[in-house]
Amino acid sequence: MKKKVTLKGIVKGRRLSSRVLEEEIQEVVGKGARNIHVLADGQHGIGGRIWPGGETVKITVEGPVGQRLGSMGMFGTEIVVKGSASDDAGWINCGADITVLGDVTDGAHNAAAQGKLYVQGGGGARCDTMTKHNPKFDPPQSWYFRDVGDTFAEFKAGGIAVVCGVNPRNPENILGYRPCVGMVAGVVYFRGPIKGYSETDVKLLDLTDQDWKWLIVNMKPYLKAIKRPERYKELSRSIKDWKKLVPFTAQERAKKKDFKMSIAEFRSGIWEKSVGKGGIFGEYLTHPLTILPYVTTGDDRRFRPVWNNYKYAPPCEYACPTGIPSQKRAQLIRADKLHEALELVLQYSPLPASVCGEICPNLCMQACTRGRVDRAYNIKEMGSASLEIKAPKPQKKTSRKAAVIGGGPGGLSVAWQLALKGHDVDLYEAEGKLGGKLELCIPRERLPQKVLRKEIDRFKEIGINVHLNTKVHRKKFDLIYKSHDVVVVACGAHRPRIMNVPGSKDMVPAYDFLKGINTGDAPDLKGRSVVVIGAGNVGMDVAAEAYHCGAKEVTAVDIQEPAAFGKELEIAESLGTKIVWPMFAEKYEKKNGKIYFTDGTSLKADLVVISIGDMPMTEFLPPSVHTDKNGWIQADDAGHTSNPRVYAIGDATRLGLVTHAIGHGRTAADAVHALLSGRSYNMPPPKPVAPYEKIKTAYYDVCKGEPFAPVEEANRCMSCAVCRDCHMCETVCYNGAITRKGYEDGSYEYMVDSDLCIGCGFCAGICPCGVWEMEDNI
Amino acid sequence: MEPASRLDNNHELSLRDFPYIIRWRDERCKRCGRCTAVCPMFSIEPSVIVQRILHSEGGMPEPKAVRRVVTIIKQSTDIGRYCTGCAACTLVCPNEAIEPEYNSRNKFPFHKNKGGHPYRRGGRRNDPRPSTLDRLRFTRISMLTDPALDAGRHEFRIRTYLGRILPAEELPLKIINGKLDVDKKSGKFIPPVREIYPVMIGSMSIGALSPNMWEGLAMGVTYLNEVENMPVVMCSGEGGMPQRLLKSRFIKYFIPQIASGYFGWDEIVRALPHMVEDPCAIEIKYGQGAKPGDGGLLMAHKVLKLISEIRGVPMGVDLPSPPTHQTKYSIEEAVAKMIQSMSMAWGFRVPVYPKISGSRTAKAVLNNLVRNPFAAALSIDGDDGGTGAAYNVSMDSMGHPIASNIRECYLDLVAQGKQNELLLIAAGGAGKKGNLAANAAALFMLGASAVSIGKYIMQAAAGCFGDEYNRCNVCNIGRCPRGITTQDPRLYRRLDPDVVAERVVEVFKSIDVELKKIFAPMGRSTELPIGMSDGISADDPAVAERLKISYVC
Repeated sequence: MKKKVTLKGIVKGRRLSSRVLEEEIQEVVGKGARNIHVLADGQHGIGGRIWPGGETVKITVEGPVGQRLGSMGMFGTEIVVKGSASDDAGWINCGADITVLGDVTDGAHNAAAQGKLYVQGGGGARCDTMTKHNPKFDPPQSWYFRDVGDTFAEFKAGGIAVVCGVNPRNPENILGYRPCVGMVAGVVYFRGPIKGYSETDVKLLDLTDQDWKWLIVNMKPYLKAIKRPERYKELSRSIKDWKKLVPFTAQERAKKKDFKMSIAEFRSGIWEKSVGKGGIFGEYLTHPLTILPYVTTGDDRRFRPVWNNYKYAPPCEYACPTGIPSQKRAQLIRADKLHEALELVLQYSPLPASVCGEICPNLCMQACTRGRVDRAYNIKEMGSASLEIKAPKPQKKTSRKAAVIGGGPGGLSVAWQLALKGHDVDLYEAEGKLGGKLELCIPRERLPQKVLRKEIDRFKEIGINVHLNTKVHRKKFDLIYKSHDVVVVACGAHRPRIMNVPGSKDMVPAYDFLKGINTGDAPDLKGRSVVVIGAGNVGMDVAAEAYHCGAKEVTAVDIQEPAAFGKELEIAESLGTKIVWPMFAEKYEKKNGKIYFTDGTSLKADLVVISIGDMPMTEFLPPSVHTDKNGWIQADDAGHTSNPRVYAIGDATRLGLVTHAIGHGRTAADAVHALLSGRSYNMPPPKPVAPYEKIKTAYYDVCKGEPFAPVEEANRCMSCAVCRDCHMCETVCYNGAITRKGYEDGSYEYMVDSDLCIGCGFCAGICPCGVWEMEDNI
Repeated sequence: MEPASRLDNNHELSLRDFPYIIRWRDERCKRCGRCTAVCPMFSIEPSVIVQRILHSEGGMPEPKAVRRVVTIIKQSTDIGRYCTGCAACTLVCPNEAIEPEYNSRNKFPFHKNKGGHPYRRGGRRNDPRPSTLDRLRFTRISMLTDPALDAGRHEFRIRTYLGRILPAEELPLKIINGKLDVDKKSGKFIPPVREIYPVMIGSMSIGALSPNMWEGLAMGVTYLNEVENMPVVMCSGEGGMPQRLLKSRFIKYFIPQIASGYFGWDEIVRALPHMVEDPCAIEIKYGQGAKPGDGGLLMAHKVLKLISEIRGVPMGVDLPSPPTHQTKYSIEEAVAKMIQSMSMAWGFRVPVYPKISGSRTAKAVLNNLVRNPFAAALSIDGDDGGTGAAYNVSMDSMGHPIASNIRECYLDLVAQGKQNELLLIAAGGAGKKGNLAANAAALFMLGASAVSIGKYIMQAAAGCFGDEYNRCNVCNIGRCPRGITTQDPRLYRRLDPDVVAERVVEVFKSIDVELKKIFAPMGRSTELPIGMSDGISADDPAVAERLKISYVC
């Protein structure tokens, strides 16, 4: 059935529906029609979906053509429209050759995958969008003779579009507004002016020879089909008349920069060009305008380690009123200088064995950091170990004269220090022996006589003029004052405080009681009951001595919680002393041997010793030396009184421990020495105590109670705040920034190379002695 | 001597009381010290511990004790050195050996008031829950009903107007030579109006921010304008602006702020004759969402040469911005006086608007502004905003969420028919959970004409460590580990302004795409969908009712 079949869209004045016309076309094709003439009346999809089975079916369409002409057209279908076509001509074209001898409106060849669309005129908007290229077939071709409308070739994913640009409707732009948005494959060849395209998707290129060859070969059948073969010459005149738009490849797209301009280019080319070099803050900033890493060295560190050797006082030294640097002794012993270590203490006290070693409550040991690990560094025994050490040699004589009034611990201390500094010292003592309360009042049990003797003898070796049995009264004082450059008053406190209660005159002052015993005038208290009023440490000494004198029972009473502590308390309690408080004495009836208290109770008391403190006897002083109404001399920590040539120390200024008096004497000696040397004296501010948490106790093992041996003991000292030269810091430093520098004199320091140090704080964190500290790196 | 309490555990806090606990892995640590070198709080420090291991290897008890002292990284239990969880240690650790871990059962608030000083910090409200904005969804999708738009293909005009828009009938127009033109002889005031990008960078001062951070933001904003043609603007915050910027043509992208401290204004005023462009606008700060009703304080240690020069103050002094402006005694007077003065400074060519903290009294301010023809906008800062320094109680307990505040103000304008004349700027919490575009779009649809961001851009552009679990949040003490809020060059030089600028550009380019992805399916491409409340829904009926939007489930 090769004959030509004509199908009409209007039959007897009635328009066929798209469905009926489609059924008719399919029917005639099925019956073998291969040349169909359709007189259309706007029917949809004419000429599509025809499966001619390898043959060719020609369809000529006349009249008003409906939408989607030739949609889903197949290979072998050849459609020629004699006039213009409506929207979506060639929609999902699967191989049909469609020739429109007129214009196509919007959406022509949308989603075409194979076949050809030849347009004799121009295209509407959104033509050639979504076209594809199935690799199994040739790509679809869309040819537009004049121009195309806006948003051409959007999302084009394959296929070739050609816009010839002949006699365009818009002579300034033949591709319409913003073509090729989302185009990923295929090509658009065009000839004529355009105004922009989607620059993010496609690029504008000249044609290659290959392009050109394809174009001029395929142009001929196109021009022939649209009946414009005469234009061939004009259109193929020059490759330079043509351009193409091709999409960026996926690779090109991936490589595409996100930024139109790098920030660096922006900074130099736009920003700093307007605001100036160095940016908007450039004129205010003094530092380099570079970027720093998180971890920095040198000046850029936030913190720097500092080897603060001995910046703090070790707790022992800080706590010792005499100021004995016990850690230094340990350091010397560790350096194999045992003898120097034992000598060292004599620079601080003439009585280390008697005081440190015997009667001192050893505040140093109470403060000792080692005590927080096991037991304190045994400084007491260290003191005793210096008993046999010879007196140090005094310095060259100065010919300046100093007098010291009082041969108690304070007087001995200041005389010792002044004599060591080379001054002539006259020491005046009212009693027949030196030592003051050590000699007179401390029970021998607590301070063996031979220890004290030995140290007093050593004291005398350095050439102090000792005047025993010389009681200083006012006249004597004036003589002394006149014949010496300086007078140091260290007369102690001997006037007992007494209570204003009936029978108080029958009470014995503790000072007298204890002095009697030490000077061989001990009372016989066999079977007696003794009451001690005042349960401080002196009261405990009294109690102990009372037992030694045979007392049956000793009761110490106090008005408040007793202040007694340490060895004194221990001894008294071990002997049976009862301590009762609060008790306020009301009266003492010596005849009845009874003391009564305000609470109505009473105690048997053959002897009542009153031990509520002593006051100094300072009537011998001239008015220029101010005292308060109780006789205490007003003196500062360096012993300065209101008279610039008179110094006062020890119990005469305030009550304290023996070590306080020794320390006060030592400080006063410095002040006196300054005066005698013609210098002004500024008491050095005390170093702050080394904080415990800075000392790393982890390094030290808990020791069992081995017997005292100087070397082992020195190893137990944790050297608080003083470098022990252990090299831990040097070893721990990951960056190798710490080195030890030794000097010829044997001294050394640890140094930091700031170019290597990152300020991490490892040295400070692990330093056993707390010497390294981190400081703000300003 | 030290009291015994220091030596024992009496009154010591345990690590369990702390908000972050350092997880340190001994076996991975090489003791290089990088972590302790960077810890801003000195929460971690090197130390030594002793390990004592008892062996008995024979066939019967044969004790042998081995003692080892080893170095460790130790966390402090001093409340002043608490670990903020910033994880700078983790950042610099080459061996992944250290990391802070959040401890939800911490007792921090019970203890952080040493010396009777309440807890002060920077950052944001410590409330990790999603905000109301995060619970709003865009439900009106154009499905064949409207022309469906394509975010990738269609061109969008995401812009807003900053300035007072006169109603058409009030515009002094006349026909001149057959063309409609402004009648300049009418003597009528035509308010200045700027066309800007609807997401702007909010007020963070030079001082609160380091120079590197501030310059990075400023460069990013300028890049967006100059290179990307996105008219993003940035408010200076209180604390002046550098002369170089004031006198550059880029000043038109910036909004200088005046606040109660008036810092830097003499420097700005003296720069006026040298300015080649007008600034975008002037913001008058009355309040801040993060710490409503409280003032600011730039600590003396931050007031170095830079701040001193820019703010026009001596170095090393505290710079307080009082909670309220002085010399103003009523809303009428306060607002009118300030807007007049600031407008006058630039010859009435620059829009001027106040910024207040979110508050139930916002409508009172709004209605005052409606009656003031010089008022360009009202900026409302909600309680999820950030701050460089505030009392914890102000941050956590004071303030009004932005969503309902902006909504009621907008509806108030609608009731008066003024919704297109006075714009509302919403701030304080946009992008709290990182969903900036969605939050901003929701705010537009609730009635905001523009959205201002601060905290978000710090996180996105500079990698701010802070979060709502109180991580880091030490902006106030000058030790910002990122270099964002410090004046210490050793810290702020960690921050590369160029990288900040690049991130600002990336952030704005991407939210631009995201806004399109929201607007396109809703069929909007030309005008910002301000007040398009039929587009959003809440998943909570109470929220829906309060915001007068639909409820979906």
